[in-house]
Amino acid sequence: MAVAAPPAPTDRRIAKLELIDVRVEYRGRAQSETLALDKTSLRIEAGEFVCIVGPSGCGKTTLLHCLDGLKQPTGGRMLLDGREITAPGPDRAMVFQSASLLPWRTVLRNVTYGLELQGVPLREATTRARAMIELVGLAGFEGRHPGELSGGMQQRVNLARALVIDPEVILLDEPFAALDAQTRETMQTELLRVWDATKKTAIFITHQISEAVYLADRVIVMSPRPGRVKAIVPVDIPRPRPASARRDPNMFAIEAQIGALMERDEARA
Amino acid sequence: MTQLIAPTAIIDDAHLVERPAEPAANVFSSRPVRALLSLIGGLAIWEFVARAIVHNSAFLAAPSAVAVRGWQMILDGSLLYNGWVSLQELLIGFVLGVVCGIAIGAAMVQWRGVNDALELWIAALYAAPIVALAPVLIIWFGIGTASKVAVVFIMVIFPIIINTQAGLESVDRRLLLVARSFCSNRWQTFTTISLPAAAPFIVAGMRQAVGKGLIGVVVGELFGAKAGLGNVITSASSVFDMPTLFVAVVTLAVAGVTMTAALRVFEVRLSSWRDVA
Repeated sequence: MAVAAPPAPTDRRIAKLELIDVRVEYRGRAQSETLALDKTSLRIEAGEFVCIVGPSGCGKTTLLHCLDGLKQPTGGRMLLDGREITAPGPDRAMVFQSASLLPWRTVLRNVTYGLELQGVPLREATTRARAMIELVGLAGFEGRHPGELSGGMQQRVNLARALVIDPEVILLDEPFAALDAQTRETMQTELLRVWDATKKTAIFITHQISEAVYLADRVIVMSPRPGRVKAIVPVDIPRPRPASARRDPNMFAIEAQIGALMERDEARA
Repeated sequence: MTQLIAPTAIIDDAHLVERPAEPAANVFSSRPVRALLSLIGGLAIWEFVARAIVHNSAFLAAPSAVAVRGWQMILDGSLLYNGWVSLQELLIGFVLGVVCGIAIGAAMVQWRGVNDALELWIAALYAAPIVALAPVLIIWFGIGTASKVAVVFIMVIFPIIINTQAGLESVDRRLLLVARSFCSNRWQTFTTISLPAAAPFIVAGMRQAVGKGLIGVVVGELFGAKAGLGNVITSASSVFDMPTLFVAVVTLAVAGVTMTAALRVFEVRLSSWRDVA
């Protein structure tokens, strides 16, 4: 099932997202240069849910920041609909690892934030934000401040803030890492429900294998530093996937397969 | 820069509003009652010392005499007139100082070059007893309003610059990343992230600056003025008119306490989101 090498670029069709030989170096002090990401090539189709798993420090977050345009790769190309990614744009939205909400703004104003920056009139922004807040299950909390919300609720706001700008690609950087196990599972199911309703291309980073398998159409396994695409594992479990899909034996089999791929790295490291 | 500790400390006591509730044994354990008792006690001692020990109204005026004089000065309009002159000088200098202080502090955080050019001077002037420059400013700007505005301005601007800097440097970097990810330009990032995050620091700086500004007004007027509370103090002291002198001093104290308290309320409201976080 695992495809060891990235697909050969013979397919001339334009993918939603295409990464070709992406390389990222960090220039530290003196001559020390760290290679965070190397020879990373990927094709992601429109509407696909892709999870990227890998050990800490394998450049997962770096890769996501590059896709968002927050960071420029040192080498290689990144294309969105065939166009080079050079800066953050309204066609991509990031769900940050720590909820990173603006603590002095209410839930409603946090969700309208991206729209305000784009110059959307406040009335329209408010209407769209209210709808999105309802979709993520936070109706009634519009007037609260982030400090009054639980971690799970904060991540719902984080998700709504990204989705409300109606991006084509949504980038999620371990958004549930800080949540307790139970809230985490609830949020995963919720995320799939919201994703089903919006049909965005989603790239989700995690280091938890079961989370990746439950959410993804394809799981991309990265190697430790320098990060490279080590394997791409398709998850052919039908959607919608209710919470009970977690106990699907096929799911365990795929988890075990990815686990084995990652263990070999850990043994070496 | 050790002075950066000061603004943080001022903000931090916003968290201390929750005191353990003391058992309400009697009326005298409530804080407002105690404050009132302290005030009455202090005035009583002052009255006693003035009447029973000093006996010389050219040396020390009793609070009762000060109150009587104060009432006369309200009736003849001299207190309001002089108070208004001083208040005008204070407000104009304060507003100019706050606006320029925020702009300079922000520029120093935003551009490395501005910071390197100004840092040394600002650190030195912040620490220096800058009120000593008041006579110079009187010579430059004359004995009218302008010179006092200038004195207040130089007193106010440094704590504002220092606190603006400290506030802007404390901004959560993750929020700056959020703004960038949502395609915010530099100005939008400043107004939507940096400024709101720094606002409690800036207001704390304004609270320090009120006291300094009041000193600026009075000292400025002592060195040369046609009117104002500082001028009242100078002319009263030259004829040993202690009651009038104390009326001016008490008025200044009340003004300082009132303005500081108003800014405190503003500060608590601005940082109300901190308490729940």
